[in-house]
Amino acid sequence: MEKSGIRIEDLHLSFGETTVLAGINMEILPGEFFAFLGPSGSGKSTLLRAIAGFGPAPRGRILIGDRDIADLPPWKRNVGMVFQSYALWPHLSVRQNVAFGLEERRLPKREIDSKVDAALELVGLLQLADRMPAQLSGGQQQRVALARTIAIEPQVLLLDEPLSNLDAALRVQMRRELLALQRKLGLTTIFVTHDQEEANTTSDRMAVLDGGVIQQIGTPQELYDTPANGFVAGFLGTANVLKGQVSDGHFLTIGGNRLPLACPRTGADRIVLRPQNVTLGPAGGEGIVGTVSHREFLGSSIRYLVDTADGQIIVDTLHSAGQTGQETGATVSLRVDSLNAPLLV
Amino acid sequence: MSDSFQPTRPSGRFTLFPRLSGVALTGLLIAIFLMAFLILPVMQVIYVAFLDARTGALTLQNFQDFFNTNLFRESFVNSFYVSAMSVVFATIIALPLAYITTRFTFAGAAVIQSLGFIPLIMPPFVGAVAMTLLFGRNGSLNLLLDQYFGFKIPFMEGLNGVIFVQSLHYFPFILINLSASLRNIDRSMEEAAQNLGSSGLRMFRRIVFPLAMPGYLAGAALVFIKVFDDLGTPLLLNVNNMLAPQAYLRITGVGINDPMGYVISFILVAFSVFALWVSLLFMRGKDYATVQKGGGGLAKRDLSQREKVLAWGVILFILALVLSPHFGLLLLAFGTIWSFSPLPDGFTLQHFGTVFTQSSQYIWNTIIYAGSAAVIDVILGTAIAYIVLRSGLIGRKWLDYMATAALAVPGVVLGIGYLRMFHGVELPFGLGQMSSFWGLIIVALAVRRLPYALRACMAALQQVALSLEEAAESLGATKSSTIRRIVVPLMTGGILAGFVTSFATAAVELSATIMLVGRSSDAPLAYGIYLFMQSPSGRGAGAALGILAVVIVALGTYLSQRIIEKDRNRRAAAPGTDH
Amino acid sequence: MRKILLTTALTLIAGAASAADKVVVVTSFPKDLTDPFKAAFEAANPAYELEVVSRNTNASVSYLQETRGANTTDLFWASAPDAFEVLKAEGLLAAVDVAAEGIPDSVGGYPINDPAGMYFGFAASGYGIMYNTRYVEANNLPIAKEWEDLMRPEYNGHVAMSSPSRSGTTHLTVETVLQGDGWDAGWAKWKWISGNMSTVTERSFGVPDAVNSGSTGFGIVIDFFGLASKASGFPVELVYPSLTAIVPANIGVIENAPNAEGAKAFVEYVLSPEGQQVLLNPAIMRLPVNPAAYETAPEGFPNPFTPEFAPGAIAFDVDLSGSRYTLVNALFDVMITYRMDDLRAAVAAVQQAEAAQEGKDNAEAKALIAEARALVEALPITEAEASDPSFAGVFQISRDKPDVEVVGRQAEVEQAWDAFAVANYAKAKELADQAAAMN
Repeated sequence: MEKSGIRIEDLHLSFGETTVLAGINMEILPGEFFAFLGPSGSGKSTLLRAIAGFGPAPRGRILIGDRDIADLPPWKRNVGMVFQSYALWPHLSVRQNVAFGLEERRLPKREIDSKVDAALELVGLLQLADRMPAQLSGGQQQRVALARTIAIEPQVLLLDEPLSNLDAALRVQMRRELLALQRKLGLTTIFVTHDQEEANTTSDRMAVLDGGVIQQIGTPQELYDTPANGFVAGFLGTANVLKGQVSDGHFLTIGGNRLPLACPRTGADRIVLRPQNVTLGPAGGEGIVGTVSHREFLGSSIRYLVDTADGQIIVDTLHSAGQTGQETGATVSLRVDSLNAPLLV
Repeated sequence: MSDSFQPTRPSGRFTLFPRLSGVALTGLLIAIFLMAFLILPVMQVIYVAFLDARTGALTLQNFQDFFNTNLFRESFVNSFYVSAMSVVFATIIALPLAYITTRFTFAGAAVIQSLGFIPLIMPPFVGAVAMTLLFGRNGSLNLLLDQYFGFKIPFMEGLNGVIFVQSLHYFPFILINLSASLRNIDRSMEEAAQNLGSSGLRMFRRIVFPLAMPGYLAGAALVFIKVFDDLGTPLLLNVNNMLAPQAYLRITGVGINDPMGYVISFILVAFSVFALWVSLLFMRGKDYATVQKGGGGLAKRDLSQREKVLAWGVILFILALVLSPHFGLLLLAFGTIWSFSPLPDGFTLQHFGTVFTQSSQYIWNTIIYAGSAAVIDVILGTAIAYIVLRSGLIGRKWLDYMATAALAVPGVVLGIGYLRMFHGVELPFGLGQMSSFWGLIIVALAVRRLPYALRACMAALQQVALSLEEAAESLGATKSSTIRRIVVPLMTGGILAGFVTSFATAAVELSATIMLVGRSSDAPLAYGIYLFMQSPSGRGAGAALGILAVVIVALGTYLSQRIIEKDRNRRAAAPGTDH
Repeated sequence: MRKILLTTALTLIAGAASAADKVVVVTSFPKDLTDPFKAAFEAANPAYELEVVSRNTNASVSYLQETRGANTTDLFWASAPDAFEVLKAEGLLAAVDVAAEGIPDSVGGYPINDPAGMYFGFAASGYGIMYNTRYVEANNLPIAKEWEDLMRPEYNGHVAMSSPSRSGTTHLTVETVLQGDGWDAGWAKWKWISGNMSTVTERSFGVPDAVNSGSTGFGIVIDFFGLASKASGFPVELVYPSLTAIVPANIGVIENAPNAEGAKAFVEYVLSPEGQQVLLNPAIMRLPVNPAAYETAPEGFPNPFTPEFAPGAIAFDVDLSGSRYTLVNALFDVMITYRMDDLRAAVAAVQQAEAAQEGKDNAEAKALIAEARALVEALPITEAEASDPSFAGVFQISRDKPDVEVVGRQAEVEQAWDAFAVANYAKAKELADQAAAMN
């Protein structure tokens, strides 16, 4: 299978007054597993559908390899898409569903049969080839949808929230299978999700979208550790964003706390503190003083909401058996590992 | 629909499928078809209403005359009254039936389903004849009442007779639409109401019925318009103080160039369009039922023994009423002489013999005409539904409006319009005059029945998730291939339902065909029945022909129903629709 | 389905190509009449095929008018001479020289053929009263033999007829009485009869149908409806009132007929001795115009060529009838058909008042009744007005003749008549009710 990258240049789209995509530029490398992450309404699905050729036509260029596909109808793009609802045709059997795209390509019957078998084999459903879609479980339907898309050997694979209709346990299993399959085929893949854990665990790189604008592109770790802005910081994991300014190798919060920095960035006015990087101690010690307003027992950890002069700060402390931790209402002191905390300009 | 077309994308403007020249072309062709065979012919007729009969100049004088004439004002009031009362009685019949089928697990559901269809397949002419023989002043029932109890009930006299016959004939429109709406209501709606302390009839009135309102209104509007425009029933019952019969009498009278007939036609069409529009306005934003996907309908429960008896009682009573014209027809068809007696003097098979030896061409003509009309209807219906629901074609809604407007056009008006418009047009291949060409009958039937097929196709297409089409396209299927391999097969049930409704109602249609039949060898069944019924010895044979019409239509319906059921079972709980 | 359609289309194309000798006849006659003639004609003239287009008389005339621009019809075949007069006046009939032997010039004082040779009588028809014997017996009614009988109170609710505007034959019946009794007396008779009616049907066959099924007892019909119904086994009888007109049913060739030769052949066949015999078919039962045909007629079959038949028959004035054709129809519909309920109420009130005053000597009541009767009988226009072309023309407006001066519009005139009739009927009922209440 030929590996092609995707390049998107200056893609704009509006519905009447509403801007849905505002100047999208990105490059997805050949063979990459790439995630579009964002809340609903961020434009991530619209962008995916634009690549597949659905929905209103945007302005701008979409290149797969060297081919600009922006003006092609969906059926000429050779882009495989797996739909959120799977979109299996209920009047066709599993085999007929998978054979569909190959038949449209007017392949010889024998070739179709072998390719269908191969695709079904790949997803482990060969024995169910003659069932009707209604007779399959959700996970099986998902695999048929995948097999149907892979069978046409698309240049890129688009997955539109493919796991959202599965229950939690199956979802974890399926995402691993999906990744394994993608690695095996080496298919350039775009995966749309609103679930950061899904994006983190599967993708090589991801783009975070909000309001039709790409907020940041990078590996999951890059985005987590060095978010470009408050939105990315907040969307990828829980973040405490404290306002203030950089001064003398420290971040001086507006609440009057001084947090040491390893590489102070001039002009930064916010600092991102992850809850696990804050330690909660009894009152009186060094650190930010506050009062526990709420606590949640999460199993592996306990989450405290602490009211401070810098606003509410979320603190996660590891839980080990027998510990009781702090009660609501207790005055506590927060010690912050701020040396490598991201700063926002 | 071409897939080799390489479009330039119009930037900025929002069109769903800017590349589809094929769809645009299809839409244009359909628009031309509807213009040529519906709008223009109707215009041909009603524009006479605006002409001075003597000078041919444009005038509104005729409308002034209309409103200055007591008879016409009374006719208008009578038509309105009869239509409204027919809606009321049709509702009284349909509501319990719809309620029973949708709320309870009930063995008689199949009976009710067929109830929803049987009345529509009665040729209009014979229905009223049979009803008169059973319920008329000296009909079987009144003769028996008079003999044993010494009184008679004037079922069939005057406007009441019209209301009686019309509500029995048209209540299925309400039954079908209301049941469909009720079935679409999400079960959770009902559960929420119960959870908040509402139950029983009160809940039905406050929650269930309002949710089913759009379906009910659609059915009620249809009944209203049908009764308002209907000609055959009042004429057969010799009621002429209504608008449609007045129009007919004035247009078809000998030597009369009275423009009033055309004025009335115009008013009929305008009022019907108005009624449709009002019902649409009223329904706008209230179409809750289709918003709720799936849900499996209302929770059904078992009936207690007493309720079962009651339910069967109601159903059997309605069934007896609904089947009475068919029963009367059977008696006529197998009876020898039936005169001033509760039952015919004797029974014979002779009438069927007459029909089979003399009239097989009527049967074939009917099958060909109604069949072709229904095929045209489902093709047009599917195309229009696709264009309206799936394309961004400018003015696509107008295709829907135009096709639906056929509901508001009385058959006679269409028939006269065709005569006006197509007479003198010579067809190639020796087919002769267009206005007497049998193909025109098919076109007339197709146009008249298109709204039924269109509704069915629309509903079917709405059930097909868009992603099923997109999946096909992303796998390399062109638009036309997607339509052929995915959309149409998934619409099968709805398309078949549309086919059946069109076929069944076209098979018994008379009002437009009576104007268009060029020669008796081209005549369909309903016309044959009409001919037979014009002579004393032909009454039995006409009835026998009527029975054949009912049997043909019933068989067709049954077969399609079987196919639909099979199709539905095969892909029960289809994926792609969210649960 | 496609295959069926295709084969059908091909057959039809082939059929159309080979059938150069199709004779197309537009007719108001039922299958029962046309089928035997078609069969007999085609057997006698194998070169021709008769194609029958069935429409009622009025629709046929409209059809021929609408389609004159590209005529496809060879013949018009119907009862009412008036309809032929209308067509003749509009130049829609062709003058044809037809060979027929043994047919006299007139029957019952009525000329059988159009003097201009544009249409030909082929069967005679009289008008009569048809009744259902079971109905009459069950309701203990005497048999009505004359039009006057039907005016009597005991027939209230037992009579039916069709509207003259819907049925050419009924129009002739109405016109016959108007000519026989005079304009005022004739209309009065129709009003009193109509007051006894259970229904005015919209199809001429509606009347025999109603009598046959027993939904009404007496019907005013053209004779063959009664004769054919009886022949079909229904318990009905037909009587000819002494005032009747024998009027021929006609056939005429359409101007510019596509198959003029075939049309002529069919006319000649219908008038031939063999053709005349077909009329005696039990399902047809019409009176032949060739007196020789009666030799083989069944016993009791009426023969209009005998002196004892309908002694009061009048000589029907076709010109007079034609001059006020639509006016009479409109007047009948406005005063009677559309105001049936009002008329019935007035007539019933008068009948009850008369019954209540029977044998009493209350002059005031008698005067009220007389006044009520006069109101029921009152007419909005006189005979002279009815025949005045500028008035009758209101009902025959045609854009072909814009120069004809007329006074007013039909809708306007009809509204005036309607108001007149409704007010009179209401007043009559009021007066009669007053009279009935008097001692």
